[in-house]
Order: sequence, then structure tokens, then C-alpha cells
Amino acid sequence: MTDKKRRTAAQKQRAQARRERAARNAPRAAEAQDRRPPARPAPRRRPRRSSRSWGTGAIVAVVAVVGVMVLLFLTRSESGPGAKGSSAAVREALNVPAATLEAVGDRSDIRPPAALPAGTPSVEVAGKPAVVYVGAEYCPFCAAERWPVVVALSRFGTFSDLGTTTSAPPPETLPNTPTFTFHGASYTSDVIALSAAETETRDFKPLDALTAEQQRLVSTYNVQAVTGSDGGIPFVMIGNRYAWTGATYDPSVLEGLSFDQIAGRLSDPKSAVAQQIDGAANEITAMICALTGGRPNDVCSAPFIAQAQSALPTS
Amino acid sequence: MALPRWVVPVTLGSSIGGLAVSIYLTIAHFTSPEIIACSSSGTINCEQVTTSAQSTFVGVPVALLGLVFFAVMIVLDLPAMWRSERRGIHLARLAAAVAGIGFALWLVYAELFIIRAICLWCTVAHVLAFVLFAAIAMTVPDVLGDQAPADEFGRAGRS
Repeated sequence: MTDKKRRTAAQKQRAQARRERAARNAPRAAEAQDRRPPARPAPRRRPRRSSRSWGTGAIVAVVAVVGVMVLLFLTRSESGPGAKGSSAAVREALNVPAATLEAVGDRSDIRPPAALPAGTPSVEVAGKPAVVYVGAEYCPFCAAERWPVVVALSRFGTFSDLGTTTSAPPPETLPNTPTFTFHGASYTSDVIALSAAETETRDFKPLDALTAEQQRLVSTYNVQAVTGSDGGIPFVMIGNRYAWTGATYDPSVLEGLSFDQIAGRLSDPKSAVAQQIDGAANEITAMICALTGGRPNDVCSAPFIAQAQSALPTS
Repeated sequence: MALPRWVVPVTLGSSIGGLAVSIYLTIAHFTSPEIIACSSSGTINCEQVTTSAQSTFVGVPVALLGLVFFAVMIVLDLPAMWRSERRGIHLARLAAAVAGIGFALWLVYAELFIIRAICLWCTVAHVLAFVLFAAIAMTVPDVLGDQAPADEFGRAGRS
């Protein structure tokens, strides 16, 4: 125990001596510290984070925009043919201003129909002279021709449940042409009736079966001697006065356009779409006026309709 | 100015690839769209896209615009141009890349929602325009910062 106490006392003395030495040397250490070269400043860096974030943000934005577009495209494709017209566009097509139709007027580049022979029995539905349409949803020329037929018929009556679709995808000519479909639609008018049938869907599946009367009209009038075609579609008859097959205007004006774009252009008389579709609609309107005896007066008395009527073939 | 090593080969390679595709599409535009090796049915349909109303912009074929774009980008992406200390060159490259991706986005929209068909070769050009844009966007702080990166001794240079 005595030895231990002695060693502890010696350790305390050595520690005290170290502290005293350190205290004596402190000013010299401080001087030495002052003599050292200054420490290098930390490397300065430009504030890059915001710029780098800008680049990343721009890339993410582009990817997001493309992603949203692809998502919308896929969603649309799953819900239908991919070019369903909006209800606003359908309303536009059903309400082309009379001023636009007048500005387009009677055009010489619209293909005239065939005049049915004198003595052709009247074609009626429920006591009204009928417009007969036989086509198919896959058919691109039907797709084109429905536009002027709808524009013209909307001047004489009212459609309900008028749907939209597109013609068949490639390799069909003029693939995916946006249009209406008469399948499931109904039409009411004081002066005329519509007898329409879409025989196949856009993917060539059976749709509307022709009524016996429609079948009879096709067999009798959709022949080489009358329309220049043997059973071609679309086949359109304006009562017992006129008939034709195919499109009456150049359907290539619809290429690359959506349903809504076509509908939107119908009211612009300077657009090629309006000139062709509205021009053909004016010709059909003139034919229907010839069928109804000029009724209704507000439609049939327009000078441009009278002019179009004068250009129609006679039997 | 220290650029990542991948920048020059990626941008120059994308530009050269884009130019090749654009030349192909331009030839098809001025000769026959049927020469394009691509499906012509269904959603993938190069012919429908390259003959659509959207295949021209203010009367100029879009394929030709792509050709000019990628040709300009080749020049701007040459190693000497990347090394250049002229700020205007880097700004021009960035502006061209932004214009290129902007136009590509419009064309993608047109394909999906107006034409409703997709042209594979056009998509290749769009992807290359995106790669160019992404690579150039990532170099903005390196080539268009207020000053060049400071070195380890804090000596800032001019970019």
C-alpha cells in the first residue's frame, strides 16, 4: 500500500510538470501558428444545382408530355374506332349555317347523280318520299358521302342517336376516314323519310340486314344501266328521282383530318372540306327539294338551291 | 470547361443518325412513299403519315426540315464546337435542340391524334431529337454557366 501511494504521488508530480511546460510553451506555439502559411480556401464551386435541375426538369417534362399523349392515345383506341367525333362537332355538322352553304353554292366539280327514268314508282316510307341510303361502316366512300347526306338531311329534319365512326383501317383505300354511322340513328322530318342501312361494321362484321324494300331497290336501281355500278356502295336514292353510287366529291380532302376538324371546317366556305362537302350537300338538297316539291320553302327557295336544281340531270 | 466524355459522341452520333433517317424520308417524300420499309396497315403506317396533310409545314416537307435540323446539329456538335469558348455557339445549339424537340412533340401529337397512325422511321428521328435535347440540356451548366468551373485552387475561368 505504501509503495502504491508513493507511485501515485510521483505520477501527480509528473503531470503537474507537463502542465507547467505546456503553459511556458504556449506563446511560442501561438507564434508558430501565426508563421504558417494560410490554409487554402475551400474550392469555389459555381452554383450548378439550379442549372442541372433545369436540364433534368426539361427532360422529365418532355418524357411526361409524350407519356400523357401515348396514354390518351391508348385510352382512345381501347374505347372505340379511335376517331369518335365529339358531340359539339356533331352539332356543328348538323347546323352548318345557311350563309356558308350559300357562299359555297352550286359547284361544277360535284359529280351529278343519275336521273331515274320517268315513271319510276314512288319510294316512300310512312307516306313520305324517302331518301334511301345503303352502305357499310368499313367503306371509305360511304364515309365520305355520309357527310353531305347528313348536312343536307339536317336541313329538312332532325337526327337523333346519330353515331360517329371511321372507315376501315389500311389497307383499305382512304383508311380511317372519320364519319357518321346511320346504324342506330333515327330521323324525323315533316317532308321526307330516311331509309338507311349499314350492312357491315368497320371490321367487316355483319350489321344491318336490308329490308325487303331496300333489297328490292338495290336490285332494281343499283345496276349498271342506272347508276353505272352493279351493287356498289354507298348507294343513295332520292325518292324516285335520282340515284348514285360512290362519293359525289373528292374524298381526299378528308385525309389526315379528325372528325372534329372536318366538322369544324364545314362552316368555313373557303376551306376545301366545306367546298366539297357543302357543295355536295347543296346538290343533294336541290334533289330533295325536287322530290318534296319545294318544301320547306325557306330551304328550297334559296337562289343557290334553285341554281343547283337547274344543273341536275333530267330523265 | 470540363464536359462529360459521352457528350460529344452521343450528340454527334445522334445527329448523324438523324440526318441519315431524314435523308431517307426526304427521298421517299419526293419520289414514292411506298419505298419506305415500313408497315402500311394498322396503327404503324408510315405511308399514311408521310402522305398526310401534316407531312408538310408551311409548304415545306417535314422530312426536309428534319434533314436541315440534323445537318445543323452535326456542325454544332463537332468536337471543336463543343470546345469553343464562344457562348453564342452553345446558345445556338441549345436553341436548336429545344426547337427540334418542340417540333418533334408536335409531330408525335399529329401522328397520335390527327393522323392516328405512327411512322416508325419518323419515330426514330423523334427519339434521336430527344436524345440530342437531353444530352444538350444536361450540359447547360457546363457550357452556359456564368463562369467556367472553378479549379481546385478556386481560380475561376471564363467559359
